[in-house]
Amino acid sequence: MKTALVFHPKYLLHEQSRDHPERKERLSYTLDQLREEGLFDHPSVEVFTPSEAPMEAVGRVHIPEYLRFLEQASRRGGFIDFDTNVPPGLFSHALLAAGGALRAADAVLSGEARNAFALVRPPGHHARPGTGAGFCYLNNVAIMVRHVQARGVKKVLILDWDAHHGDGTQQIFYEDPTVLFTSVHQWPFYPGSGAVEETGSGKGAGFTANMPVPAGTGDESYHFLFDTVIAPLAEEFSPDLIAISAGQDNHFTDPLTGLALTARGYADLMKKAVDLAENLCGGRLVAVLEGGYSVEGGLPYTNLGIIAAMAGLDLRNIREPEGYGEWLTRAGDPSAHAVVKEHAAALRANLAPFWQCFR
Amino acid sequence: MLIGMDAGGTNTDLAMVDREVTSVKVPNTLGIREVLSHARAPGRLAVSTSTPLNRVLTGDPARVQTILIPGPGLFWPGGIRGAVNHRGDIVEHLDSTEVGGVLASSRGDVLAITGKFSVRNPSLEQEVAARALDHYAEERIAVSHHLATLDFPGRAATTRLNARMKEAVCLLAGEIGAERKDFFFFRGDGGLIPPAYAIRDPSVLYHSSTAAAALGAFYLSKVEECLVVDIGGTTTDLVRLSGGKPAMETIVADGERTVTRAVAAITLPYGGDSVIEETIQPRRMGNALAFGGIRPTLTDALNVTGCEIGNAGASGLLDRTSAERALEEYISLVSRAVAASGARMVVGTGYLAQFLVPRIARHSGASFTIPPHAECANAVGVAVSRVTLTLHARFDSGRGAVVFNGEPQELRTLGDDEAVLDRCRAEVKQRAIAAGADPRDVEDVRVLHFHAYDVVRSSFRSARIADVVVQIAPGITAEAP
Repeated sequence: MKTALVFHPKYLLHEQSRDHPERKERLSYTLDQLREEGLFDHPSVEVFTPSEAPMEAVGRVHIPEYLRFLEQASRRGGFIDFDTNVPPGLFSHALLAAGGALRAADAVLSGEARNAFALVRPPGHHARPGTGAGFCYLNNVAIMVRHVQARGVKKVLILDWDAHHGDGTQQIFYEDPTVLFTSVHQWPFYPGSGAVEETGSGKGAGFTANMPVPAGTGDESYHFLFDTVIAPLAEEFSPDLIAISAGQDNHFTDPLTGLALTARGYADLMKKAVDLAENLCGGRLVAVLEGGYSVEGGLPYTNLGIIAAMAGLDLRNIREPEGYGEWLTRAGDPSAHAVVKEHAAALRANLAPFWQCFR
Repeated sequence: MLIGMDAGGTNTDLAMVDREVTSVKVPNTLGIREVLSHARAPGRLAVSTSTPLNRVLTGDPARVQTILIPGPGLFWPGGIRGAVNHRGDIVEHLDSTEVGGVLASSRGDVLAITGKFSVRNPSLEQEVAARALDHYAEERIAVSHHLATLDFPGRAATTRLNARMKEAVCLLAGEIGAERKDFFFFRGDGGLIPPAYAIRDPSVLYHSSTAAAALGAFYLSKVEECLVVDIGGTTTDLVRLSGGKPAMETIVADGERTVTRAVAAITLPYGGDSVIEETIQPRRMGNALAFGGIRPTLTDALNVTGCEIGNAGASGLLDRTSAERALEEYISLVSRAVAASGARMVVGTGYLAQFLVPRIARHSGASFTIPPHAECANAVGVAVSRVTLTLHARFDSGRGAVVFNGEPQELRTLGDDEAVLDRCRAEVKQRAIAAGADPRDVEDVRVLHFHAYDVVRSSFRSARIADVVVQIAPGITAEAP
């Protein structure tokens, strides 16, 4: 079965301002790369064009007061925070991004595709029920998760690997035992949350797993966390669908963050997630694009690698151009892995009361 | 005078379109010079031909050596070192020893070279092609950057096809050019191009005869919404017209998707020369009895049931029962295809249309018309077509370059979006007129794609990029009466 690629030409148009990191340029080179690779006509890929998310779906996550504000501010322009302006026409673009996540999930649930990647803009994982933040307006992944649950999917595992902690998504599901939220993120860093002590509350206690990593963290550590934290948790939780908040700002060329993941590292990570989904939930995996600001040097290679892994393609040539070697050496920090292991041990200890796999 | 020529498998149809339409059918066995002697009148000559393609498909299969320069990305077996990135920068150089070794070790009859992102910077492809001249004649080397569109696997497939067809197109262009200097080739999407364009990308000749009949059917009938049923010697082609324009599709050759678009046709393997053995067979084995052949065909079946085509008496070797059964079978096959298409109006073309299309239409429940000169609609379509041109432009002020259809030029100033569009419109018009277009035909330039964005580095806007595709679409020339 095929991999769904959800894309709309309008995803290239949103721009807070001409100089903002989340600008038109962000996906343009990625699109060039995907087109040049022939992925839009690839026998293993099916392209789906989304429409705007219905208010009913958005309203399962966001409060009516915020949606009214966003709609009104979108008419003439508005302001949420210094990272997050509301340019005129934003509401329609934000609904289309959420709609992309919904279309991806629907493709998977209906059996049109084995798994799906929604190549959307603007991103969503910092958006909370009552406000946007950090370039995000509507929480695309959360809206998608509530949508699949409304369609009968019971348990969802979210893996948020964006370099920034997915604080909005964490808050939305913090007390919900049907959604296991896991996040690997640079720390300390924006937005400041995402400590190993934040493990959920109420009925959701134990259903949030934060894996903070220091600057300079690279492929080895991400795979270590996947193998020793994410996979065991997933196997015990036994999700009906895996959702990935796929932020590609961990790449070693990203100008906004300090991590050192490679394109091949991303592809292999996605391959592990695909295998996990195959083993646990019939392959049902929905990835939604979040951040990633190395627009020219990183995103074309990381996004391609992720799609290639989802579609089961040969990953041996997923790489950056040869001249990037020194850049990677500068970005990586050999001491980071020890810190990652330390944090992971602390997290496992914090989660041990809730999960057999960590006892 | 507009002169159209459609070289089919057996005969070549010539149409001279002035205030009146005159036509002649000449057997191919007489040769190009003899065929062209029938088109001595001054005027514009346009040629539709499936000859290069047929030579490729029916001749000895050529061994195609493929050299890919894939760079980082999806894995392609047999790729050589070297990479151009999405901006058009060379990020990995060729390994000269490797190139020499590959060219020396695994020689084919023809060579296809395709580099990833060569449409943004063709220099690696050109470097390999230059080295290859020691091993291959230029007519046997095809490169991909002129194909202009982003789609490495599609370009690779198209370039392989082009490598196989290129020499035959060169030969034909030389033969026609020796008789008549200025002429055009007719594309499978219904437009005209100078020979040099066809030599660079011979794949555009694919399906050209089908496109010719479709365009001619519209010109002669003026029916905008219909199904053209073109009955030839070997095949019957069905082409849907909407707004007077044929539906288009991407060509798949040898199971590989190309980047070339051509008229979308349903081709049934039956025509006037289809041999009758018990009933109609999907193959041609020479002419009908009525035209000196030795086996009865569909044409003979028509004669046996009362028509007068060619030497009708010679068709008498076919018995009436077999003739009626073969006709029934043919009418039924085509009618089912017409009905399945949902067409309500059929325009019949080809010499046999007058005998067969009324029955096909009745069986399928559609109305029909057979326009005057339907027997040479294909050649008329070629004659009245206009020069078409698609221009893919990539402006990158950061690199100081604009790439038009795979060929970089220096970019001095970019200007605003409207200035970029104006420049593309002016460029495509100028190129079309240089290619021989009537100035009236280049007024309607369509913008098929426009995307422009700022390049921001270190929080500053350092450059701007614009991707544009403009087109002078195929259609009927203003010169046509």
